[in-house]
Amino acid sequence: MKFAMKSMGSKGFFKLFAVCALSAAAAVAPVSAQDDAEAIVRPVAAAYTVEIGSSHLVDTYLTPLKYQGISTALSYERLQAMKFSPRTWIMQSRGRLGLNRGENPAKNAAMWDLDLELSWGLMRRFSVESIPGLRLMAGGATGIDVGALYLARNGNNPVSAKAAWTVGLTGAAVYNFKIRRLPVCLRYQPTLPLTGVFFSPDYGELYYEIYLGNHSGLAHAAWWGNYFRLDNLLTADLRFGGTNLRVAYHGDILSTKVNNIVSRRFIHALCIGVSGEWISIGRSDRSLQKAEIISALY
Amino acid sequence: MMMKRFIYVMALVLSFTSCHHVEEWDQDYEGNFDAIWTVVDEHYCFFKEKGVDWNEVYGRYHQRLSPDMGGLGFFNLCAAMLDELRDGHVNLSSSFKVSYYRKWWSDYPQNYDARLVEQYYLRFDYSTVGGMDYGVLRDNVGYIRYGSFSYPVSEGSLDGILSQFALCKALIIDVRDNGGGDMTNVETIVARFIDQRILAGYICHKTGPGHDDFSEPYAYYFDPAEPGRKRWSKPVVVLTNRSTFSAANNFVSVMQYLPNVKIVGDRTGGGSGMPYSSEIPCGWGVRMSACPVYDAKGVPTEDGVPPSDGCHIDLDPQLALQGTDTMLDFAISLLLSDKFYN
Repeated sequence: MKFAMKSMGSKGFFKLFAVCALSAAAAVAPVSAQDDAEAIVRPVAAAYTVEIGSSHLVDTYLTPLKYQGISTALSYERLQAMKFSPRTWIMQSRGRLGLNRGENPAKNAAMWDLDLELSWGLMRRFSVESIPGLRLMAGGATGIDVGALYLARNGNNPVSAKAAWTVGLTGAAVYNFKIRRLPVCLRYQPTLPLTGVFFSPDYGELYYEIYLGNHSGLAHAAWWGNYFRLDNLLTADLRFGGTNLRVAYHGDILSTKVNNIVSRRFIHALCIGVSGEWISIGRSDRSLQKAEIISALY
Repeated sequence: MMMKRFIYVMALVLSFTSCHHVEEWDQDYEGNFDAIWTVVDEHYCFFKEKGVDWNEVYGRYHQRLSPDMGGLGFFNLCAAMLDELRDGHVNLSSSFKVSYYRKWWSDYPQNYDARLVEQYYLRFDYSTVGGMDYGVLRDNVGYIRYGSFSYPVSEGSLDGILSQFALCKALIIDVRDNGGGDMTNVETIVARFIDQRILAGYICHKTGPGHDDFSEPYAYYFDPAEPGRKRWSKPVVVLTNRSTFSAANNFVSVMQYLPNVKIVGDRTGGGSGMPYSSEIPCGWGVRMSACPVYDAKGVPTEDGVPPSDGCHIDLDPQLALQGTDTMLDFAISLLLSDKFYN
């Protein structure tokens, strides 16, 4: 199998990145191109970004104080039209590894937060005929979020482990337009978990008791009253060629309250990275020229 | 119309977030005083056992607050308030001072002199491994001195020590002045003295901020050391004093119910509430007992574990000057006599 970029204008760094990205994308879920003239090609829209911003951390299991600091993350996402109905359904996979550090109001203690998220979503695509270039998407997403908060100054309760599996709503407004001759793809995507399951120890329960074998009452059904999360992503892909420059804002609000333990993580971050759209070709460039290309994003 | 609905939905969504309220205090003496009182009020676990009326304590100390009392004065006031709990696990930590409640041991005879044992009983001929000093005493009695449960204990070290004592008639484990440490070391050591799973005790925790909000006690068990490890089934004496505290107190509370084991010395110092840490706005740390641990019969050991019947003995200071540890002598005699089995 050989790979080719949809647009062939990239050079240097972008070529190197494209090769790496294509390899990763193909490893996760190989895209396909049909052999016949009526084939539909579903390119993968993938993006790798680095985030940096501010974090607001609260976990009353560790401390009643609010910690403020920085937020950093590496994230990946891929979107692709679904094979069974490529004009209508879009699949999205996301992964994010975040590291946050906050300080207490007296600035004499630091709290670390390491967090890994993986999610998968399916969205239906709607066209807005009155506004050329605008497309709306709406659907559902499910994901897992695992991590831990660490406060070194605490003796027997230095860690608050986090784990959640949620199911919720997601949607996006995608607007493709041009700034002079530069194509730009603007997207706003909120994600709102509705329900799921998440982990929390009891109010004053030490992890030593869990270690001794008391595992009762650790899993909790999630709903908006005890687990509220709103993830906002605003991206702008500047399409210079085969590879795009992505500039984005990521705002993530997570607030939970269970067993009288309140935990919060608010993140506001600027994201920068590369994105692109890649397809795989089964036989020749001719088959690609005759195929209908259904892009997930652009 | 659509926009109005959207705004209503978003307002409803955001209102859920605001439900998760976190209490805040002002960054002044008043605010920090309220914070430390509240943190203890919501997490401390022995108000009832110790008969402490925490609301009354608030009133008594709050009236002593003064805007010009200074940082040290404020620290001392808060430390004095925490001393009302009469708990060795309660501390207030600042960059310039850490408060300790000491009366759980300072009001009692110390009953231990390390030099006495090292010089007159071990004759400085002892080995050290994994935080344990060990050697053979007169009449072929093995002796292990474990000074802190903070020292990691490896399975290999225990195998090595017990192998050295293979020909000994009996064993003394001296945990006098052992102020505690890591609870997992308790299980590691006890596992060498049992041949089947035992009920080690019960643990519970706060389920909410109320003084009576506790979980049902959870029974926890210890298993014997895995096959191939050295175990000890001959007579054992555990030597204790008032400074045997926290994890060491827990060790004694488990060992007291094993066959072939006697507790000799003074009542232990207690400290059966597993500590929980928190902090207040000025950055000072607060530590307190939060999870009570009970022994295998459900008895609280916050006030310590008593010696076995007929085994209470203090160190005679006069005889100590002559090189005699009366507690250690008592233990050796007990191990070698028929009284041990009565």
